Amino acid sequence: MKRRSILAFLIFVLVLTRVLSYAQSGDELRFYLRSDPKTFNPLLVADDASETIRYLTGGVLVRVNRQTQQLQPELATAWKLSKDGKSISFNLREHVYFSDGTPFSAQDVAYTVQHLMDPAVHSPTGDSFRSGSGEVRTDVPSPNRITISFPAPVAGMDKLFDHVAVLSSRSPKQEMAVLGPFYVADYKSGSYVLLKRNPNYWKRDSAGRQLPYLNSIRMDIQSNRDIEELKFRRGEIDLVNSLDSEYYDRLASTSAKLLHDAGPSLDSEQMWFNQVGNAPIPAYKKEWFRSTNFRRAISLGINRADLCRVVFALHARPAVGPVSPANKFWFNTKLQPQSFDPASALRFLQQDGFRREGSTLRDRDGHPVEFSIITNSGNKYRERMTTMIQLDLGNLGIHVNVVTLDFPSLIERITQSFNYEAALLGLVNDDLDPNAQMNVWLSSAENHQWNPSEKSPETNWEAEIDRLMRAQPDEGAGVGH
Amino acid sequence: MRIMRIFRHLETILATLLIGGFLSATLARLAPGFGADEQELDSRLSAESIRQIRESHAQERNILHFYFNYLKRAIHGDLGTSRSLGKPVRQLIADRLPITVRLCGLGLLVGWTVGLALAIAVVMAQVRVLDVFAAGLAGTFLSLPAAVLALLFVYFNAPASLAISSIVFPKVFSFSRNLLAQSYGLPHIITARAKGLGSARIFGWHVLPVAGPQMLALAGVSVSMALGAAIPVEALCGISGIGQLAWQAALGRDLSLLVTVTVLVTVVTLAANTGSDLAMDIFRGQQA
Repeated sequence: MKRRSILAFLIFVLVLTRVLSYAQSGDELRFYLRSDPKTFNPLLVADDASETIRYLTGGVLVRVNRQTQQLQPELATAWKLSKDGKSISFNLREHVYFSDGTPFSAQDVAYTVQHLMDPAVHSPTGDSFRSGSGEVRTDVPSPNRITISFPAPVAGMDKLFDHVAVLSSRSPKQEMAVLGPFYVADYKSGSYVLLKRNPNYWKRDSAGRQLPYLNSIRMDIQSNRDIEELKFRRGEIDLVNSLDSEYYDRLASTSAKLLHDAGPSLDSEQMWFNQVGNAPIPAYKKEWFRSTNFRRAISLGINRADLCRVVFALHARPAVGPVSPANKFWFNTKLQPQSFDPASALRFLQQDGFRREGSTLRDRDGHPVEFSIITNSGNKYRERMTTMIQLDLGNLGIHVNVVTLDFPSLIERITQSFNYEAALLGLVNDDLDPNAQMNVWLSSAENHQWNPSEKSPETNWEAEIDRLMRAQPDEGAGVGH
Repeated sequence: MRIMRIFRHLETILATLLIGGFLSATLARLAPGFGADEQELDSRLSAESIRQIRESHAQERNILHFYFNYLKRAIHGDLGTSRSLGKPVRQLIADRLPITVRLCGLGLLVGWTVGLALAIAVVMAQVRVLDVFAAGLAGTFLSLPAAVLALLFVYFNAPASLAISSIVFPKVFSFSRNLLAQSYGLPHIITARAKGLGSARIFGWHVLPVAGPQMLALAGVSVSMALGAAIPVEALCGISGIGQLAWQAALGRDLSLLVTVTVLVTVVTLAANTGSDLAMDIFRGQQA
């Protein structure tokens, strides 16, 4: 498997002058959402647009500072993790009110956690906390204290609360009553979401002025990135969330002052081979894909530096593993990325009986080495990456076919029919702790893409990863503030 | 007699709707990727949640069962919930229909006005340069794909309804020009012109009655033309109308939404064609 962490930069490109002056729209900030938010219920958030709304409206107990990656108190003034990693206690802020005026208390946190962990709700946020079967208990000794106990240790439990927006247990407005800086004032499906300043927001700046400074945020729904760029250039929107490299360079060439490179993201691009036992592909290909030497050779045969240079205009860097350099705690700075070494690649292949015949590589039974890589159509970066991989591997005598599919077809192939040979996709990472990707790394997990739902680990290295991932939650207790 | 004809039209519309809805559901059901949900790739989801997501598609797998239930619910006004957008289909349609109606309405109005005015001017003026210019202009727009036109209008920050006009206008112009030219060549109109009848009178009293019924037929067709153009225009210009909804439904293999949008577009198209058929009848009846 090859992994490539992308410096795909950027959380936000700020038009500083515009954001500071709000010349276009008084004290309203305007930007685009790329799709309709699927839900305003913070417990059910699974898409980017809903996540943006949750971030701006939801009140959380603790917040991971996106710049320092440290945990900061929000609605909780202090918290303590138990030594066994199974429970956490919070001291809550007093005199806090929801946007509709309902008072906030530990009962609301208990209500939120019970809903979050209700198996019938199928909350992606709740699933992050699910490390073992059993009941989740909430003890409320006083209106400002709560202890939440899980049946098994949860790794990075305190940081996971960054995604848990507290619901009101008493408000008739249900999830529309919020504790964050803004509340949803208006929404028209497919058109816009309008957020207004929460008059009851608890936070104040150092001068004692109530936050937020903005009166409203208008997010028009616009999936066309060219229109977004055009509107940004014309000053009709104030910021662009998450730029790609091409777009970034285009703006940099004309309006460099408007850009702020926020550094690498947590996301990565990866390619994997289908190693599913009953996949409808020839047995000899399965044998290739299951061979460590074959996979290592492919990895050595791909010029990652070229991919970063040509496809991402140097806004990406070769990965050293699944953890992005943006992850300050988990990234190992001593590791070096896999080098491009076609000669070593051929040596690994020879160890498995592969041989060159003219310009074609053949396996020990004489089959020409040929496979297809599927990726999602419309993603020009992935399309270009697969084309470059095709060229690189062509130099080893491997014939690669590039197949682009629309997303539903692609998902069907990699999750249901397993009718594919190799895939190139991205791993979106919302969390700093690898525990959040438990469903990718555990061999028994559904999202263990190259061979999902193994009854028992089929390789030693998967067994080792399973062991480490399961051991991780037992590691830590801690105290905050 | 006319009432019987209206009934026959209604029967045809109903049958077409039922068959069209079923065919669109079948096509979506058979499309690769049906039943696959992007959410399944969410690395946070537990096996149980993924299983639940997959099971939620189970009711749609049997297409006959789905369609029967869909129709049963639709009779009571429940059009189901959009799987890809997570909202009731009825609400989505109600929110977006006015946008498409405005877009297409304005597009048709401008397209017809420009196309017809140009056709009349060309036929009545009979100036070669004007004819070549108008034919060239219409040919240029005719040869540009709707998506390219949409992007041009985005680039120049022009109203998207004009993109619809640009798609409708060349067809209206070509058809009207040929029709009017044919009508002006009829013996009784040549005679009228030779006798020195005013051009407005010739147009109103002699040309229009001949060309009118076919123009009305084109009016019906142009509605479906505009609706068809609304899909790429809305999708590319980021306009949240029915066209964009249709695009999203197709990409998301969203059965309930796709069937409803198909039925809606079919209703509008058939209603427009039926309307023009009936108008032609009335027109011809008056002439007789």
